[in-house]
Amino acid sequence: MRTMEGIVTILQESRFQLTDDAGVSHLFILGHDTLGEPDQLEALQRRQARIRVRYTEPRNLIGLVAHSVETTA
Amino acid sequence: MDVHARAQDYTESELSGMIEDESELTAGVRIVPGRSYGFFTDTTVCIGCKACEVACKEWNNLPADNVGLSGHSYDNTGALSANSWRHVAFIEKHTGQDGAPGVRSTNKTPYQSGWLMLSDVCKHCHNAPCLEACPTGALFKTEFDTVVVQQDICNGCGYCVPACPFGVVDLNTLDGKAHKCTLCYDRLKGGLEPACAKSCPTDSIQFGELPDLQARAEKRVEQLHGQGVSTAYLYGTPGAPGATGDLGHLNAFFLLTDKPEAYNLPSAPTRPANRVAPSLAAGLAAVAGLALTALFAFNRRS
Repeated sequence: MRTMEGIVTILQESRFQLTDDAGVSHLFILGHDTLGEPDQLEALQRRQARIRVRYTEPRNLIGLVAHSVETTA
Repeated sequence: MDVHARAQDYTESELSGMIEDESELTAGVRIVPGRSYGFFTDTTVCIGCKACEVACKEWNNLPADNVGLSGHSYDNTGALSANSWRHVAFIEKHTGQDGAPGVRSTNKTPYQSGWLMLSDVCKHCHNAPCLEACPTGALFKTEFDTVVVQQDICNGCGYCVPACPFGVVDLNTLDGKAHKCTLCYDRLKGGLEPACAKSCPTDSIQFGELPDLQARAEKRVEQLHGQGVSTAYLYGTPGAPGATGDLGHLNAFFLLTDKPEAYNLPSAPTRPANRVAPSLAAGLAAVAGLALTALFAFNRRS
């Protein structure tokens, strides 16, 4: 599974935009197997926390599915 | 050009913050909790630009899906789904000069098109069947009289999906939750007009208070009738097609010029809850019938 690091810049329900170190934004959907709720992402977005996302690329969709989200030091 | 008097207060191109009650400037309506809001979609002025679809996806951070060509003209969205809360339908009327169905006409009356376009969306029914079917209470009526799914409560059971008579609600298999148009609930709370209505260049999608919209729509129908478009009618206003089967009225209603089925809308949608009592009665009658038959057969043997 691939990983990406960055900051949550937009959050809508279970969908969020992660802006990486290169300044590129990626659209993520919080997968059903993620141990977490969108409410927890809201706190991470508010404090602009740096997070690491493990994700997969679904077929026929311009977006990524997050399977785990964790804060980095 | 009519400009709201308050627009004179904001002449700078860059603003230091949000405009208070911005919808008053963009839609001519102040958003107040406790009142009914909705959409009036006038299909006669829709040009199929899909600005509403794009604005919806942008604001709600929805991913693009069904990448590629569908083979159905410019309609690559296909249908409303968990990722597409607005869908601009392109319907070509295959009616030849002699009125034969299925035959594409070779010439047209000036200024008339062989295409029908409609920006479809959740109807935010007055008596919403999806809300009635939801066992967790995730679907609720907001203070603006709209219907919204609370994502943190939705358990993805999917009961709302078949309950919707318009096929609007959809489950996203990636996050396991039901999704549909929220009528931009977050924007309404901030005094903003919904993204789709704000982006519509022809005002085919109009946002406003429901009584005002319904009166405006009635006037528009009269105007079209006066101009010779005798086929124009409303779908979803009280007593009109679409507002049938105890649905009450639709907060998102339409002005159509062809039969509802042409736009992929049901001609007489109904509330599934109406079928609970007859179904229960039929079930009980069947059980009673079987019990009587068994009793009769048992008595005959003994």
